[in-house]
Amino acid sequence: MSDAPVLVIGAGLAGLAAAVELARAGLPVLVADQAQTPGGAVHRQPLPGVRSIASPVQRRRWAGLMADVQAQGTRITLSMGTAFGGVDHTGAVLLTGAGARLFRPRALIVATGARERVQPRPGWTLPGVETAGSLQTRLKTLAEAPEGRVLLAGSGPLLLALGAELARLGRPPVAIVEAGRPLSHPIAALGLPMSYLREGAEYLLRLKLAGVPILAGSHLAAIRAEGGALVADIDTPKGRRSLTVDRIALHDGIASNDIGLPDCPALPVLRAGDCREALGARAALADGRAQGAALAARLLGQPQPAPAPEVARQRAAQALVARLHAHDGASRLAALPGDTVICRCEARTVNDLRALGPDPTDRQLRLDGRFSMGPCQGRFCAEWTARLAAPDTPKPRLGAPRWPARPIAIADLLATPDETQGDPA
Amino acid sequence: MSGHILWQDRAIAFRAGESVASALLRAGVIAFGQAPTGQARAVFCGIGQCQNCLVQVDGRLAEACLTPCRTGMHILPETGACDV
Repeated sequence: MSDAPVLVIGAGLAGLAAAVELARAGLPVLVADQAQTPGGAVHRQPLPGVRSIASPVQRRRWAGLMADVQAQGTRITLSMGTAFGGVDHTGAVLLTGAGARLFRPRALIVATGARERVQPRPGWTLPGVETAGSLQTRLKTLAEAPEGRVLLAGSGPLLLALGAELARLGRPPVAIVEAGRPLSHPIAALGLPMSYLREGAEYLLRLKLAGVPILAGSHLAAIRAEGGALVADIDTPKGRRSLTVDRIALHDGIASNDIGLPDCPALPVLRAGDCREALGARAALADGRAQGAALAARLLGQPQPAPAPEVARQRAAQALVARLHAHDGASRLAALPGDTVICRCEARTVNDLRALGPDPTDRQLRLDGRFSMGPCQGRFCAEWTARLAAPDTPKPRLGAPRWPARPIAIADLLATPDETQGDPA
Repeated sequence: MSGHILWQDRAIAFRAGESVASALLRAGVIAFGQAPTGQARAVFCGIGQCQNCLVQVDGRLAEACLTPCRTGMHILPETGACDV
């Protein structure tokens, strides 16, 4: 059906950039996102009446993209508060929530962004422990930092960014525990693009002025709940120390949020932005445009456009960032106590994994072990389960696409208008 | 539109456009109850990927981080037996 819209899942940088390119080519586009406002994780918008804490560079990037979206008028429809339930073998897509419908789009662009990697540790399931991105989302929407003592731990540049934002909002973190030693390679760091260096220098200056200790080469080994607070046991190069705090934000990098998401032979499906390759905001914008233009050319029978050079530049920059933060943290997985929860959804532990015997098959992991079978679809355990089960196999073997793509209430399913009746399946 | 939601029997103020999770956390409510597995319900990913913050919203199971507050909304911990 040539009048059916192209469906874009995700109203962040990549999704909206793709939508703009499709609309410019004359194609109607429907953009669905489960959040209430566009922006994705990076450009999460403040609540009405709240000032934005985004940097001028970030604000310009978002305003420019939104102007491009608005310039396309009715060719782009935004459906917020609308979740993607999945696509079946006939190309029928289920959306639930505010824009609930069962219909057949002309094509699909999946731009569901990144997920945070968070390495399991004893106590990582306690209330008050969340991902760094989760805490940052609240800073962006509220323009205020939470009360109490906050500890940031794990590895990656987001910890420095979040620490600097907390400091700017007047409540700096107690410390930043960074497994790598990103500040110990100043010569190598000079290979980063100027925008990265400027951003990093700003964060470090703000953290320095606020007196935030950065414990490099250190690991948050375990978290305990004690007297209404959280006690963090930290392995530093000088030995173990403990910090008592109220909240802990964890982060061990980002990865594509493509777990459990489908391909479908009945219609073209493309991935865009962090969902295709987790390279951050700069690449997501360029890749969204490139994938949108590529899909438009394919649908209209035109020659494929050249690949976006910006994505290759960002790939090189992100690889260097990863090298600067390199650490041996992954080897700590093998040393986790047996009662450490790996699968948060179903409370499956290291011991449960070991009970499956040496070199368990995917089937044993999933059906006997119940790993990556919970409602998060393995987003937060598949990587660690795969590494623990088969340390020499780098590629996770879990997280195959499933229908539905997320938990859906039967009441929602029944209430969804079915627009596929009479369509050729 | 700001207003109040009910967490169990306690009135919690929310700001216009705020999620249930955000309003509860600002009010000092960090633990949202217990899953049938015994795991604590609480905010973890904050963006609707992990399902760790499930609560009952007016009797239906929903992610606190994705649910916008509406005045009078009644939030309860998950019991493991609600929803359809």
